[in-house]
Amino acid sequence: MRISKVWLLAGALLAVLVLAAGCSLGDDDDNGNGEAAGDTGQAEAGGGGGGGNLLAEVQDRGTLRCGVNDAVPGFGFQDEAGEFQGFDIDFCRAVAAAVLGDPEAVEFRPLTAEQRFTALQGREVDVLIRNTTWTSSRDGTEGARFLYTTFYDGQGMMVREDSGYESLEDMDGETICVLSGTTTELNLESRMQALGVNYEPLAFEDNEPLQEAFVQERCGAWTSDKSQLAGVRSNFPEDQGGPESLVILDETMSKEPLGPVVRDGDDTWADAVNWAVIATVQAEEFGITSENIDEQLESEDPEIQRFLGQPVEGEPFDSGLGLPADFAVQVIRAVGNYGEIYDRNVGEGSALELPRDFNALWTDGGLHQAPPYR
Amino acid sequence: MATRIDTLEPIPAPERPPQRRLSPREWARENLFGSWLDTVLTVVFGLVVAWLVYRLGKFVFVDARWEIIERNITNLMVSRFPRDELWRVWAALLVLGPSLGFGAGSAAAARRREAEEGRAAVVPERASALRRLGPLLLLVGVLLWFAQSFQATLLTLAVGVLGVAGYLLGRRVALSGRRTALVVLLGIAAAYVVVTGFGGVGWEDWGGFMLTILLAVGGILLAFPFGVLLALGRRSSLPVVRAVCVAYIELFRGVPLIAVLFMGAFMIGFLLPAGVERPSLVTRALIALVLFTAAYVAEIVRGGLQGVPAGQVEAAQALGLSHFRITTRIVLPQALRTVIPGLVGQFISLFKDTSLVAIIGLTELLNVSRNITAQPDFIAQGLIVETLLFAAFVYWTGAYWMSRESQRLERRLGLGER
Repeated sequence: MRISKVWLLAGALLAVLVLAAGCSLGDDDDNGNGEAAGDTGQAEAGGGGGGGNLLAEVQDRGTLRCGVNDAVPGFGFQDEAGEFQGFDIDFCRAVAAAVLGDPEAVEFRPLTAEQRFTALQGREVDVLIRNTTWTSSRDGTEGARFLYTTFYDGQGMMVREDSGYESLEDMDGETICVLSGTTTELNLESRMQALGVNYEPLAFEDNEPLQEAFVQERCGAWTSDKSQLAGVRSNFPEDQGGPESLVILDETMSKEPLGPVVRDGDDTWADAVNWAVIATVQAEEFGITSENIDEQLESEDPEIQRFLGQPVEGEPFDSGLGLPADFAVQVIRAVGNYGEIYDRNVGEGSALELPRDFNALWTDGGLHQAPPYR
Repeated sequence: MATRIDTLEPIPAPERPPQRRLSPREWARENLFGSWLDTVLTVVFGLVVAWLVYRLGKFVFVDARWEIIERNITNLMVSRFPRDELWRVWAALLVLGPSLGFGAGSAAAARRREAEEGRAAVVPERASALRRLGPLLLLVGVLLWFAQSFQATLLTLAVGVLGVAGYLLGRRVALSGRRTALVVLLGIAAAYVVVTGFGGVGWEDWGGFMLTILLAVGGILLAFPFGVLLALGRRSSLPVVRAVCVAYIELFRGVPLIAVLFMGAFMIGFLLPAGVERPSLVTRALIALVLFTAAYVAEIVRGGLQGVPAGQVEAAQALGLSHFRITTRIVLPQALRTVIPGLVGQFISLFKDTSLVAIIGLTELLNVSRNITAQPDFIAQGLIVETLLFAAFVYWTGAYWMSRESQRLERRLGLGER
């Protein structure tokens, strides 16, 4: 071919220009979003089209875009009918019920750990409910705002019963299976260093091959979030020893508060999501369930009347959250209270059989306490 | 090879060396146990292969717990496609079967006619229809075995019967090549409308193997014409057109597909102003696949274009054909014919590349195979081997079928013999 060098050069230049234009456009718009999000009030006044008022945008659109996990047992997965199920999924449905009055009006977007904040920033999802640990750097640099913690998890260590290990100090020289590139790996390292225990990490990309290695005794211990370890333990195949052959050590190596995440800078939306989630905890405190909600609507207790949006002295209570007065009723009808969600997906009534522990109500020695609804 | 231009007599086919018929015993002695080294190698590799086949066979037929596939077979095929709209998929297959059968029949008739008229070499169709469809029939059989559903078997049989009927009709009607293509495309379009139209399910809610096929077929149908245009553009005498095409091709060939997909899935949000409705994720994935594949198709086709002797174009110009007709009637047919192996290779690779959309959260076949192990009944059972093996089998049958069809096409067009 007789493509002259000039044209080749011109082509290359064009490519560079296109790229540069793309990048600078991206930068501009990013800033634009930030500013728009900064003065939510003005955008709100401007009506639906503005960048800052996600609550109005979601209500306008009629569906909630929820960033989720599709492969974590109990928290987010797809059942045989292709439907999303799980603890995190139920909170997506709770938010949709509160904001849109329809728990089915959710568009689930499965995201990997690496993509989740990019997807949130790129406005691909309205809210991220994907077992995401609340940390200072994520809050600070990812432009993310963490809301009410729905699940208090912690990193644990699982060993074989016959190994005789009772604490991390016993494990000198042991090989430990761990998922690579996660905070789990880093936590393990810093914890073991602090204890002065030597160990050999064996890292895997996925849980399944990790389990294979554990079963073949290539490692003597397995570290992960306690909720996941408990799920594995209670389902451990009988031909590999069954649940009794495994022990999860009492020690908790890290704090992992998991909860919904929204973008920084849109307080109206953050409040709406937050209170939709808190409503499930408040309902459990009041003893309101998806079963008895109709009786509770008749309740004489002014606290409950206010919470369920029933008229107190003529007017239903309006907390100014931008949610319908009866949003709590919608949430409870859709997914039940916090205890129901917990039991159904990860608690006694599920395959994971996790005890409530930290995730019990404050009145039962747990950490869940709903701020007063008044 | 000498080119004879002094006569219009067809070139006689070169005489082939006589073929020796060997009994299996002779063949084995000659090929497997020719010398002591051959014997050692045969025994060693024979044992290794036998051991591998035994292990695989034992796993597949004895050890593997296929319950997870049996219970999730619908999930693997369509994922989040609403179950009460599934009849639409079957209806679409009932439309697709006869139209594809008709196309195949019509094409077969056209080939026979050409051979009779002496316009094409008679190539013995060694492969019977059953053998040609072998890999696909195997796939369908395995799927039905997992599904264990009377209804599904019956409907599949109906699709097969309609397909055969379409084939026989096509042989009798024997439309021209262009009309045959039209019938096939209309069939595909009708099947698409049956699924999506009239309150149906848009492709943003498709999943599983169905989504894999949508992305592969849609990708091939769109990337091929786009790629041909790019290839022509790159050889254009108009400098700006050429520069744009060169820039496009080199840009997309220089970027990994994952990066293109990732840009489409997550970066669009930074480029579009807030509040603007963006295309669905499936659409974006399809566009990314097409943009990427077209660049490769363009380079393959360009190779073919360069192989067309300049004399062909000059002769056509001497006959006074327009530029457009020279391209479509003289250059492209010869160019495309020579690049079939490369093109099919690219399409097979596109078929497998569709599994990459899993990283942007689309639930196509591979993604479903991976995430069904998180279902409560299957937690911690180590079933990932079974599900991935199943996915590998499905991809293999599709890719193997495409590869065999391309070999058949090559044989028919007499490539590699001239």
